[in-house]
Amino acid sequence: MSAHKTINPQLALDAILDVLIPANRDRDIPAAGELGVAAFVTEAAARNPALNSALVTLIARAGELAGGITPHTVRQLESELPEAFSLLLTETYKGYYSRPDMRAKVGVGSHPVHPAGYEVASDPPALLNELTAPVRARGPVFRDPTGGQA
Amino acid sequence: MKLEPVDVLIIGAGASGAAIAWSLLETRMRILCLEQGDHLLDKDFPSRREDYELARYAEFSCDPNVRGLPQDYPINAEDSCITPVNWNGVGGSTINFLGHWPRMRPSDFRTRSLDGVGEDWPVDYHDLARFYDMNDRNTGVSGLGGNPAYPDYTPPHPPIPMGKLGQTLARGFNEKGWHWWPSDVAILSENDDGRQKCVNAGTCDLGCAAGAKGGTNFTYWPMLENAGVELRTKARVREILVDEASGFATGVLYHAADGQVYEQKAELVIVACNGVGTPRLLLNSKSKLFPEGLANRSGKVGKNLMFHPLTGVAGVFDEPMKGHEGPMACSILSQEFYESDPDREFVRGYGLHSGRSTTPMTYALGGYGIDNPIPWGAEHREIMDNVYPYLAGLTVVTEDLPEEHNCVTLDPDLTDSDGIPAPKITYRLGENTQAMLKHGEARAQEVLLAAGARRILPKGDKVWWRAGWHQMGTCRMGNDPGASVVNGWGRSHDVKNLFIVDGSIFVTAGAVNPTSTIQALALFIGDRIKTNIATLFD
Repeated sequence: MSAHKTINPQLALDAILDVLIPANRDRDIPAAGELGVAAFVTEAAARNPALNSALVTLIARAGELAGGITPHTVRQLESELPEAFSLLLTETYKGYYSRPDMRAKVGVGSHPVHPAGYEVASDPPALLNELTAPVRARGPVFRDPTGGQA
Repeated sequence: MKLEPVDVLIIGAGASGAAIAWSLLETRMRILCLEQGDHLLDKDFPSRREDYELARYAEFSCDPNVRGLPQDYPINAEDSCITPVNWNGVGGSTINFLGHWPRMRPSDFRTRSLDGVGEDWPVDYHDLARFYDMNDRNTGVSGLGGNPAYPDYTPPHPPIPMGKLGQTLARGFNEKGWHWWPSDVAILSENDDGRQKCVNAGTCDLGCAAGAKGGTNFTYWPMLENAGVELRTKARVREILVDEASGFATGVLYHAADGQVYEQKAELVIVACNGVGTPRLLLNSKSKLFPEGLANRSGKVGKNLMFHPLTGVAGVFDEPMKGHEGPMACSILSQEFYESDPDREFVRGYGLHSGRSTTPMTYALGGYGIDNPIPWGAEHREIMDNVYPYLAGLTVVTEDLPEEHNCVTLDPDLTDSDGIPAPKITYRLGENTQAMLKHGEARAQEVLLAAGARRILPKGDKVWWRAGWHQMGTCRMGNDPGASVVNGWGRSHDVKNLFIVDGSIFVTAGAVNPTSTIQALALFIGDRIKTNIATLFD
């Protein structure tokens, strides 16, 4: 990613990311920029020329827009540069939710899912019986044109 | 370079190749399987990593065009609303399938007679019943016996937990008075034969590091390799060779990992490359005898491609549904709308599958098989904090009807890394399917509301893009050599020592995940080969 003359590209990217995924202070959930997702995005851009080009274009255009980085200006970026914006949005979501601590913020385990996985209790036979009783009571619901003959 | 001949050459180490190898094991014939991919090593399962979700968008994408691994072949799906997905390696697509294991129903084999659409199969449910049972035991299937949607059978293992999500939806179906049942799954609910039971990781598509999911990498192949079946990996078959005098297949040419092309001779050639890979290979195997592709005198190779077009509906509940805990696609299945009903605007039917919800990254990016990220900004925060944890959804899985214009052909320009022409998919949704999807969405909404959803999420009209898991019909079986590629036991009408055993031989699609039937059919064909061994090539 190359720098733009009029704004600090790192700060601009952080600000855009903060708008894309904002914080929830009540639940101590950080925004994407403050979480450091920019590092993930720029690393990805180093491997992906299309994303790199998108970043350069978006940040350059952001520097030209009056009023700084706000939801309004980010919406303008999306409208003017939809393909570049889409690439950034996808990478932002990947960077943010690849963080185990952010998974935990929305109720999903932060651990690798193997070997531990999750504890899910088996359905008690009595419950299965109770739940399936009305289904069984209605009887067969299939057509067998051969009448069961092999 | 020529190699020592074998008796049986199987192309493809996925679901069907493994099953028929197992069936033929007792013949003591020398069996070789060529597989273009490799073994998946224990260290390569992404679910052992903290950032496991990233793999879904890179090396473990279900889409070979995204993965782009050396063993993958590209697929041109520009003229299709659904793109095929797969896995190339030992286990085939059972590596990244979701383990849903419903059988086809008796009516699925007689759609022409019963409903005036498609064609009747040359076999029926009862021909396959004992092979379904056999395969369920080999695979380690879990489920609840007594399902009124089927002739009686009982899976070998008790059902996996429905979880809060499944129980909630089950009550919704009961409220409506509609059929549902705990899903049959190729996922162990209890330890079995050295395999660990499911740990409810929720990432079945990333391989199952526990070995609980019945991929053939954990079921058939360890057994087969121990028994002496040779599995040659990184071996991509270029074409099947035929003897012009006899018209018999003589073997194959394949590209090996060392960059060389080898000729492997065999007495019997069995193709098990799935509904896209198999027609691709046959169409690439042109000769003077078969200028339109091997075994294609009927002109049906590649025609009648069927998927199971999918759409999903999600509801928001008052309590967290914990949908990421447990096998990701399997909890309960309703077949209330499976059979034809003259009061509906379509023939045949569909299933309503309870998908569990997925992990946060995948949800944010649009869902499994969908590229449509959720909104950004304040709306994003609201959705992830106050919607995502409370979701339960239903997937509408429709029966696709065979239509000749839906097909696999060879792309004139695109090739794999060995220069072999790649497949091109031409596919559009039929009107019948569209009517089913619309009907299914409305019924799914009704169930979700009956189950207590406080609102239904809006959705787009498109079917899921990366949903071409089930590739069927492109080398259909039948009794008429002019209208089918293989006969009623998988033997080519045109080449008498060539068999096809994968989903390409399906005549119709049913509205259920096909792997259980693919493997039962492979075992049935293996049984027929053994029964007819003395006159196999007559």
